[in-house]
Amino acid sequence: MNQIGPIFRALLRNKVGAFLLALQIALTMTIIVNAIHMIENRSSLMARPSGLDEANQFYLTSSGYRDDFNEQLVIEQDLRLLRQLPGVINATQINAIPLSGGGWSMGLRTAPGQDGLNTGVAIYFVDENGIEALDVELIAGNNFSTSEISYREANAVEWPQNAIITAATAKELFPDLEPAQTVGKTGYISGDEPLTIIGIIDQLQAPWNGWSGVERVMLVPQRTLFGSSRYFIRTEPGQRDRIMKEAEELLLRQDAGRLVRNVRTMTETREDSYRGHQALQTVLWITVVLLTIITALGIVGMVTFNVNRRRKQIGTRRALGASRGDIMGYFMIENFMVTSFGLLLGLGSSIALNIWLVDAFNLPRIGWHYLPIAMVILWLLGQLAVFGPARRAAGISPALATRTT
Amino acid sequence: MLKMNNISKVFRTDVVETHALRDFTLHVEEGDFVAVTGPSGSGKTTFLNVAGLLETFDDGDYLLDGQSVKGLSDSQLARLRNEKIGFIFQSFNLLPDLNLFDNVDVPLRYRRFNAAERKRRIEEALEVVGLASRMRHLPSQLSGGQQQRVAIARALAGQPRFLLADEPTGNLDTQMANSVMDLLEQINKEGTTVVMVTHDPLLAQRAQRNIFVRDGRVSEVTSNADASELLHKTAQVG
Repeated sequence: MNQIGPIFRALLRNKVGAFLLALQIALTMTIIVNAIHMIENRSSLMARPSGLDEANQFYLTSSGYRDDFNEQLVIEQDLRLLRQLPGVINATQINAIPLSGGGWSMGLRTAPGQDGLNTGVAIYFVDENGIEALDVELIAGNNFSTSEISYREANAVEWPQNAIITAATAKELFPDLEPAQTVGKTGYISGDEPLTIIGIIDQLQAPWNGWSGVERVMLVPQRTLFGSSRYFIRTEPGQRDRIMKEAEELLLRQDAGRLVRNVRTMTETREDSYRGHQALQTVLWITVVLLTIITALGIVGMVTFNVNRRRKQIGTRRALGASRGDIMGYFMIENFMVTSFGLLLGLGSSIALNIWLVDAFNLPRIGWHYLPIAMVILWLLGQLAVFGPARRAAGISPALATRTT
Repeated sequence: MLKMNNISKVFRTDVVETHALRDFTLHVEEGDFVAVTGPSGSGKTTFLNVAGLLETFDDGDYLLDGQSVKGLSDSQLARLRNEKIGFIFQSFNLLPDLNLFDNVDVPLRYRRFNAAERKRRIEEALEVVGLASRMRHLPSQLSGGQQQRVAIARALAGQPRFLLADEPTGNLDTQMANSVMDLLEQINKEGTTVVMVTHDPLLAQRAQRNIFVRDGRVSEVTSNADASELLHKTAQVG
């Protein structure tokens, strides 16, 4: 350690090479820190619970094609048959699938008219079996009753009287109240149409995972007559795959003049939903790993070059009494100084890049803990990269000092 | 001070064995000024490397200041080099990125002296060689003779028991060479044992004893009085 002063002064006389290496380390830190921050950010988005029992749920679509297709009759019959299948916990018709990317949203207000805050909510039309089929928890109020389930035509504009909302929706609409206290309150949809909140569910996600209001959902007690129905089915654990086949065959056996298609699990839907996130994560990880390797190789290359350039100097140092450890220490300390300078630059540029990302792409601020962790990792990487060349330097014979070439 | 008895050193490659030193025997007493001469390839540099603990030897005994160096570990040899031997190289071997102060400081740091002690020794050593006023200069800002003086200061700063000089004036003109030799003589008079390897018989004349090396053996030892004869022989061989 007592070589620090001369090493520092020698580095100041050979600034360019050291500065370029420091710059590479700074760039690496900047990209790595922000890339890992983005990876973690995506991971936390992907880890958000949807509120569903995804492993045991699937859905399918039934689309009528015959002129005599009686949609209401078919829906009632299909749901009854599906619920009777052994292993099925419950089934409901639903207009959209959480995380699927396609759905229906409306604005809710706490007062009639066009004034006031309009809170966007995703709408799921379900019947009284919806809560159990979705496996969401009713934390306050009541479920829909069978009698209040109505049928909705494609061109309908009226809304039923009651609705169930998620706790996140309740907090957004009535920020001063606990979610449970909003039961009985009225929300207004389509301007003036009142909806009484009869129940609160703890959590359910909207169809759009990138939406900032993904937790804001409203269940409406209706079945849709849009010519095409989605049935959402929840099974006993481990029964899903078997029941998927049976359900499809069961519906196809009914000569109802319709097609059964798009039989998919919620697991697949989640994977599809976050495929872009996963691809980005993979690309970012590859970038991080490649950049780390390139930086390590850069350090190895630079130190190897320095060792080769200074062979005679190293021999002289050995002749003057340097032990192998002193020579290794020299290169490790030199690298530590260059790396430290690079990391200080990287500290500033990492924060600067994150500020830009926050402004430009609305990403969350970087956690302060990323910076010291990245610094320690890059310090270790630097020392690891320099170890091999430094060891070779330590092996240089002191007799080299007396050679004239 | 330095006792080499029947030292052998062989350099081996896959196909060739080169006997650089064969039964090399030499005793150097404390306070001696010995010049080692000989033709190219005679083993002068190998002797210097072995004497300076820069290279190990294959056979024989070597006592440096009463201590056998046979079987010492690399770090023990490094410590002995640092404490007992001062080196002066033909090409000065100053570290170009360090100023004179830091260059002279190099062996002192390996000796783990504290900062104040190092500073005192560096200033004293540079004073002896007449370069105290230029201690913040880089080697590249000095003439060859001045650089060799810095190298001598670096060798002296650790107050070694003996000084090993490898062609110390080989890269200098006559005037500078004389000045460096004057300095070495002065250092020797002050009690430091000096062993100088040179191919220059005129310089060898200035030593108290001359060792003539041929084919890896000590061929002849002459005192200063016989120097003119040695000069004649070396000129013939060279």
